[in-house]
Amino acid sequence: MASQSDPHGSAFSAAELEFLAEDEMVEIVPNIRMDPLNLISGDFGPFRPQIATQVPLWLAVALKKRGKCTIRLPDWMSVEKLTQVLEAERDSARDFQPLPFHYVEIARLLFDHARDDIPDIYMVRSLIEDIKDVRFHKIGTGLEIISERTYAVKLLNLSAMEVNIVRPFVAKALETFYKLDSPEMIQDAERRPDARTQAPDRGPRRPLRPR
Amino acid sequence: MTNYFDIDDILAEDELVPATFREATNGVGLFDSTDDTNKVEPGSKVELPFWLAQELHLRQAVTVNVPPCFNKRTREEIDADAAHVDLRNRCPFFYELGYKIAPLVGDKTIGRVLLIAFRTRYKEVLIKAHTAAFEATAKFLSLLTEEEVKLYKAAQSSAIAFKKWRKGGPRFQKASVLGRKRKPIQ
Repeated sequence: MASQSDPHGSAFSAAELEFLAEDEMVEIVPNIRMDPLNLISGDFGPFRPQIATQVPLWLAVALKKRGKCTIRLPDWMSVEKLTQVLEAERDSARDFQPLPFHYVEIARLLFDHARDDIPDIYMVRSLIEDIKDVRFHKIGTGLEIISERTYAVKLLNLSAMEVNIVRPFVAKALETFYKLDSPEMIQDAERRPDARTQAPDRGPRRPLRPR
Repeated sequence: MTNYFDIDDILAEDELVPATFREATNGVGLFDSTDDTNKVEPGSKVELPFWLAQELHLRQAVTVNVPPCFNKRTREEIDADAAHVDLRNRCPFFYELGYKIAPLVGDKTIGRVLLIAFRTRYKEVLIKAHTAAFEATAKFLSLLTEEEVKLYKAAQSSAIAFKKWRKGGPRFQKASVLGRKRKPIQ
């Protein structure tokens, strides 16, 4: 699927990813009484005042905008959890902490629409910014390892937005390396000697099909 | 990668490569303008665009020589510090041309040169794409080949798109037809 906004950029635009992220479930506490909603994606509700229920983010935002509910902050967005994640991210140079696949988008949507439901909003916001920066830096340094012997890149726990941002670059780089390293271009005899020296330093990214 | 309609592929094949005619050829005097006989003597050296050289090579009319951008000096510079060689000046489609010309000239070392150059310069592109301010990149971009510029732009445009999204702004764009007033019907 080509991006609407930029045909040469990522496979998805950021707005499209945000749209996908709106399908994630969040917990809300309605302050209205309403029958269950029977939608194609599932049944949500019933809505009773002060009884928490699970709904997709888009529905939560729509209700919130009309002042019909409060959104409960997801567990991972609490200050303690985020502090832990940030420390863990800083501690390991290679591994990424498990966060929701759409954490960037969910955080943005909640900051935009439910700021009064987030305690310590400035703290939470800056923690998420920091986590994001640390992770992006890690991705940047991690990609330096790509060389002609990389056939695939394994990125465990990477989020949708992060993957989407590096996708065009990584795809092009891998394609070029693959092309320049094709057997017609490089004879086997000269490939071997330095193949061994670089092999151990591959970290979490390793070729699926080493030659 | 090679795509009939890919404009970069077409431009890459437009690069001039040196070639030597093997046989006397009539009617192509424009390649060798030293006399008015409208023919080319065997052994005369000409510069042909790659697409023509390739076809003539297939018909055994010319021998394709290694283009100057793969000469010894460039190779030495690449071995010394590939990241700062001005490849764009030598050949804007360095990799593409090298990839295409290697089987024609039968030079097995070109592949290695390309690979070493790209391996080193890839890292430079990666670092610059993520860190450099936009003003500082103009000088750097002038050293890159077309292929590298594409790679750099790919990284930058997705990063810029993300930043734009994060800053927010109007979420919905108004279609241009909306809000346009209808002309009153007479």
